[in-house]
Amino acid sequence: MFETLGRVVREALEAFGQAGSLAAEAGRSSRDLKTWGANFSQQARALGVNSLPIGILIALFTGVVLALLASYSFTGAVPRYLVGTLVQKTVMMELAPVLTGLALAGRVGANIAAELGTMKVTEQVDALETLGYDPVAYLVVPRILAGILMFPIVVGAAMFVGLGAGWAASLGLLDMTTSEFLKGARLFFDGFDVRYGLVKSASFGFAVTLLGCTNGLRAKGGAQGVGSSATQAVVQSAVMILVLDAFWAVVWLLGRAA
Amino acid sequence: MKQRSNDWIVGATIIVVMVGIVFSTLFLQQAEFGKKPELVTAHFRDVGGVQVGNAVVIRGVVAGRVKQIALAPNDWVLISMELNEGTLMPADPVVLVQAATLFGEWQAIITSRTAVPVNREVETQLAEVDGAPEGSLRGAVLPDIAQLTTVAGGIAGNIASVSERVRTAFNDSAARELRRSIRDFSILSRDLAAAVKVQSRNLDSLAVSARLSFADVASSANALQRTMSRVDSATAQGEVQEILRQSRQASQNLRNATERFESLSRSLVSAEANLRGAIGKADTILARVERGQGSLGLLVNDPSLYRNSDSLLVDLRKLVVDFRSDPKKYINVRVF
Repeated sequence: MFETLGRVVREALEAFGQAGSLAAEAGRSSRDLKTWGANFSQQARALGVNSLPIGILIALFTGVVLALLASYSFTGAVPRYLVGTLVQKTVMMELAPVLTGLALAGRVGANIAAELGTMKVTEQVDALETLGYDPVAYLVVPRILAGILMFPIVVGAAMFVGLGAGWAASLGLLDMTTSEFLKGARLFFDGFDVRYGLVKSASFGFAVTLLGCTNGLRAKGGAQGVGSSATQAVVQSAVMILVLDAFWAVVWLLGRAA
Repeated sequence: MKQRSNDWIVGATIIVVMVGIVFSTLFLQQAEFGKKPELVTAHFRDVGGVQVGNAVVIRGVVAGRVKQIALAPNDWVLISMELNEGTLMPADPVVLVQAATLFGEWQAIITSRTAVPVNREVETQLAEVDGAPEGSLRGAVLPDIAQLTTVAGGIAGNIASVSERVRTAFNDSAARELRRSIRDFSILSRDLAAAVKVQSRNLDSLAVSARLSFADVASSANALQRTMSRVDSATAQGEVQEILRQSRQASQNLRNATERFESLSRSLVSAEANLRGAIGKADTILARVERGQGSLGLLVNDPSLYRNSDSLLVDLRKLVVDFRSDPKKYINVRVF
């Protein structure tokens, strides 16, 4: 039992250590614009644009459910326009970044880990090195940069759609008026809400792509190793998203409240 | 070709989403482009819970936002408000900040000085802010909902205290006493009703007796009238009138005599009164003499004084004799 526990802890620390090492290496390789620039738009499209439907779908249902949940919770003396407040705050600051981040952790993290893992086990990475390419600059940097840039784009679209879905649900299902919903949405709105959500989602993008690349480049053996890398990438990314969510809340929200 | 397609799609997505985010943010912030907001400032001593971004309301219509809250010299708090372009201010405007909802949302109301609700605290604040710098509106804080609920809580506490006292005072024993009192009062009421009934019956019989008595008196009066008629017919010859005339004369004489006697009696009374007064005074003087008061009292009661007076008279007599015998001994006249 102790052996198993020790092995798990060691492997987790090794993974985060390799992730840190890879991040530092990617930072250094980012200067090689010629190498990663050619792949950036492809990765941005694959990670971001192609992830928009899933992000929007999640936000669509989240907005509707939030409006109904708020209406269910706000009874008695609580005015109905606070449905708009709840939808705006929770969608923009929490649910759009986190739920979209978790969804993208599954989609993007697994995709990256599987792709790079396959390249690793089929020695394509070694071939790149043989051809004189820096595999980090060629494979990792464009993915990480695409994640940092496109996660906020997907999350921004999710915010927009989630708020719209909440508004539509309030009008169609809760018999509220547009002015009521907007009054609540505007009541405690602050530009900081948007900034907070977007910055948080950028950090999620960085974590998900970095962990996907790390696990992919660590893949060993055959298809089983690739699958294991993809699974680990998803799990670690999901955990990291939650950790980063708490980190930003403590660092930014607490500091702002003080 | 594929590279260019990727670039175009990614770029377009980024631009569209960014535009959407910016538009949504501005829409929620109610930002207005192309309009120059008017800046209005107001001085307060305290601004309660108002925050930047709270609504500025004129006659119930949101006309702007609180832009800035800052401490100013001389213990002032300065609130800067952005009003929509073309907003008309009320006459003699003042700014009242108050809680807008139960959830901590505040608002600043710009209203006319004459429309300020009657509240001593608000009046005091506005009077104090009269000394604020020129060009700035005067402001006051309306009582917070929390204050009102605190007061209401106090009232509720007092009511609870009173209720508790009533409950303590009106215990089982008090209830029993009250029930007994009510029962006693019921018995008393029944007795009173019986007494009234008896007295009513007595009054009825008394009225009957009185009616009978009045009938007897009436019949007696009739009998007397008949008797007097017979007497009057018996004395119709004039003897009675003569007797009556002489009786009147005698009565007059007797009245005169009585009057004289009364006058004499009054004189006697006056003389008696004078005599009593004189006797009283003499008695007083004699009492003082007897007590040795005054010269006469001393003379009467002190033998040495009598003796000295007697010796003085002897010496005086000797002196007169000596003066007659030798006047020059006592009188000496000199010119120079």
